[in-house]
Parts: sequence; C-alpha cells; structure tokens
Amino acid sequence: MRHDFLDRYSRIDSPIHRLPAGTKLAIAVAIVLATALTPISVPVYFGVLGIFLVIVAVASRISPLFLAKRLILLEPFVLGVAGLALLQPNGGRVFAMIVIKSTLCLFTMILLSNTTPFAAVVSVLRRIHFPDLLTTTLALMVRYLSVLVDEAERMHRARASRTFVRNRRRLWKTLGTVIGQLFVRSTERAERIHAAMCSRGWK
Amino acid sequence: MNRDRESGERGAKKAQAIEIKDLRFRYTDGVDALRGISFSVNEGDCVGLVGPNGAGKSTLLLHLNGILPERLDAASSVFVFGHPVSEQNLTEIRRRVGLLFQDANDQLFCPTVFEDVAFGPEQFGLDPAEVAGRVHTALAQVGLSGFEKRAPHHLSRGERRRVCLAGVLACDPRVLALDEPTSDLDPRGKRELKALLRQIPATKIVATHDLELVVELCPRTILLDRGELIADGSTAQLLNDESLMLAHGLERPHILQHRHPH
Repeated sequence: MRHDFLDRYSRIDSPIHRLPAGTKLAIAVAIVLATALTPISVPVYFGVLGIFLVIVAVASRISPLFLAKRLILLEPFVLGVAGLALLQPNGGRVFAMIVIKSTLCLFTMILLSNTTPFAAVVSVLRRIHFPDLLTTTLALMVRYLSVLVDEAERMHRARASRTFVRNRRRLWKTLGTVIGQLFVRSTERAERIHAAMCSRGWK
Repeated sequence: MNRDRESGERGAKKAQAIEIKDLRFRYTDGVDALRGISFSVNEGDCVGLVGPNGAGKSTLLLHLNGILPERLDAASSVFVFGHPVSEQNLTEIRRRVGLLFQDANDQLFCPTVFEDVAFGPEQFGLDPAEVAGRVHTALAQVGLSGFEKRAPHHLSRGERRRVCLAGVLACDPRVLALDEPTSDLDPRGKRELKALLRQIPATKIVATHDLELVVELCPRTILLDRGELIADGSTAQLLNDESLMLAHGLERPHILQHRHPH
C-alpha cells in the first residue's frame, strides 16, 4: 500500500515546488517567528501575510479544498488553546490574537509540507548541521510512519473480519490490544532495523 | 581485495570464504536456535540453506557478520576468510559480508533510495564522490538507474527488494548472505532476482523455502532442522531424496520431478 497523507501534493509541479527546499524552509521559519513576535496592534502585518500566503497557495496549484480541509483538521487544537484565553479578563482580544497567529503559522506549515518533500527538508537540516540524532530520528519517523499505518490497517481489517457482534465495551478492549500489539511490533521492527543498520557498518 | 581474489584463483585450492566450527546459539528466551553447526564454504560458491520454519536459518545468517551473538568474544565459531568474527575486526567483517534481510522494509530505512544505497559506503568512510559512484553502479546493476530520488514507500515490493540488494552491493561484499530473497515476490520478480543473483560473482549463501531457487542457483545445499545440520551435499541429490525432504518439512521441488533425461 502507498501512503501520502504526510505530503500528498509535494511532488506535483509548480513555481513554488521548484524553489529550493532550503529557501522555502528559511522563509517558512522566518514567517512563523515574525508572526509569533509581531504584536496584534499591527494589523497591517497580518493582512499582508494573509494575502501573501493566499498568493503562494494559488501559485502552488494545490487544490484549495485540500488546503481548507487540512486547516480545519488542525483548527480544533488552536481553538482548544485559544478557548482557555477566554477565561481571563480581556480574553476576547487574546483569543483573537491566538487564533489569527496560529492559523497563519499553520497555513504556512501546511503549504511548506505540501510543496516540499519531507526528505528534502531533512537533507536541508543535515546540511545546516542540525543535531544528527534529531535529523536521523525525523528521517526514520517519516520512513516508518506509512509502514506503521499499514500494519495498523491490516490489524484493523483482521479484527473487523472476525467481529460479528457490535459491542462497544469489546470494541474498546480490542482497540487496546491492537495498540499494544502495534507497540510490540514496532519495537521488534526497530530491533531488526538496527540489525540492518549495523550490518552495513553503523556503529 | 582484488589481489586476494587473484591469489585465490592462482592457488590450487580455492580460499575458504566462510568457516563455521561447532556454532551454538541460545536466544534469551531459552530456545536453542543452533546446536553445534559446522561447515565451510569456498570462495565463489553458492550454497542453499534450507529447512522448515524455526530451523535456525536466519539465526545462522545473522552470525555471519556478527549481528549475533550480541556480545562477541574471542572464541568465535565463525571465520570469514580465516579471520574470526570478533569485536576488533567487526568493521572489516561487515564490509566483506553483506546481509540481505527478510523484510525489505527493515532494510530500507532512509527517506530516499539514493541515501539508502549510500548508507553502507558512507559508514565505511568513502568520500562523497566515490559514494555517489558506488550508488550509481549498484543501482545500474539491479536495473534501477534513475530511482535515486524515489522514496522507499513509493516502490513496489520487487523494486524494494532490488534496492535492498543495491544497498548491499554498494558495500562491495565478497560474501552475500540472503535471507528469503524471493519470499514476497511475484513470479516475474523472482525470475528477475534469480537472473540478477546469477550475475553477481560473490560467494552466496541463500536461506530460503523457495526450493526451485535453490535448484536453479545453488549447486550445493545444506539442510538444517531444529538447529542441527542434517545434510550437506549436492543440491540435485539432496532435494531429490523425497523421504529426507518430507521428514524435514520440505518437499521434492516440481522442477526436479519433471526433469527427464532426454
């Protein structure tokens, strides 16, 4: 099975996709930093950034519906954090600030991850001497996420094909076993991967 | 390396690539996986390693380049070109013995094909230009030139298997230890892999249930069962012995049954 939930549009062709990964990463990080540091009293900044991001989105030829879906998927987390702000005095203003800033940052990252293959991002991080352990872990995570999802899907199907009675309590119980199994299998796979790395000279 | 190979050919007797003397191994859960295995393989030979599930084939292969046992001691039972597999010459042993794992997903751990094939040569400290050269040669050898930038999870199983092989070949090993190389391949994938393996001059040890592969590729076969060496001899003779095959969870391959002497 093939999975592309992580960076589905990262391999299509557009002016944005053709930009070097390093440039895109630098711009994205700069936007996130600037957005976090700019006070909400400068609404011009947020307006300009919003328009810029929309232009990038259009130029990237990614389906707007897909981008919107991604954003909606992540928005509950933002609202969860922002919601807490409503409890404090003058909360409305803080709420708006958190929502606007986070949404702009998330949109930036969604655009980055769908215009740049993750492998390219990792290799840029390696080039700028990011800590080795971190880049290796990131690279392995990207590599094995799809394997893990595959495994979970297979186990889910095997379970579903032997589930005859719908029983919520039993469902939760089996879900627990599936997660436990997945953990055990991942540990075993990690051991085999380590053996494979060692046998090609890893120390 | 080439010098060694030439001197081996000049000598009357071929050099011993692998020598195993009374190898025993017990897993931490108490299972005796290997109970005193001894055999040797000459340089350039191709040996099939057959036996039922749990016979110890994979465990044996993991010993060939020191992945097992976890703690290596001086009194090793495995010798590679005369050198014992020990902590001191582990790097050299791993450079000489390439291991192809059963599950391609375990072996392809890098985000791109290029990085994966380059992994071995990089570990052995080659400079980047030489690494790139090795990667291109290895990928060309397995017929996957142009796959450098692809991600492993976007490849078919056959392609993945071949990338794994390229990753091993890029280390320029003199011994190839293959664990179930044809297990999840379709007939075409199998055929291509067989043709590919035949072209590789290295010494090969193939652990497999695919007896047709053994018949076509390996003149010699070793039969293991429950950690013991049951038989060691010519493939034609061994695999044709129906009672022996059945007694150890195998069967006479069809390819031998239908072979008529005309």
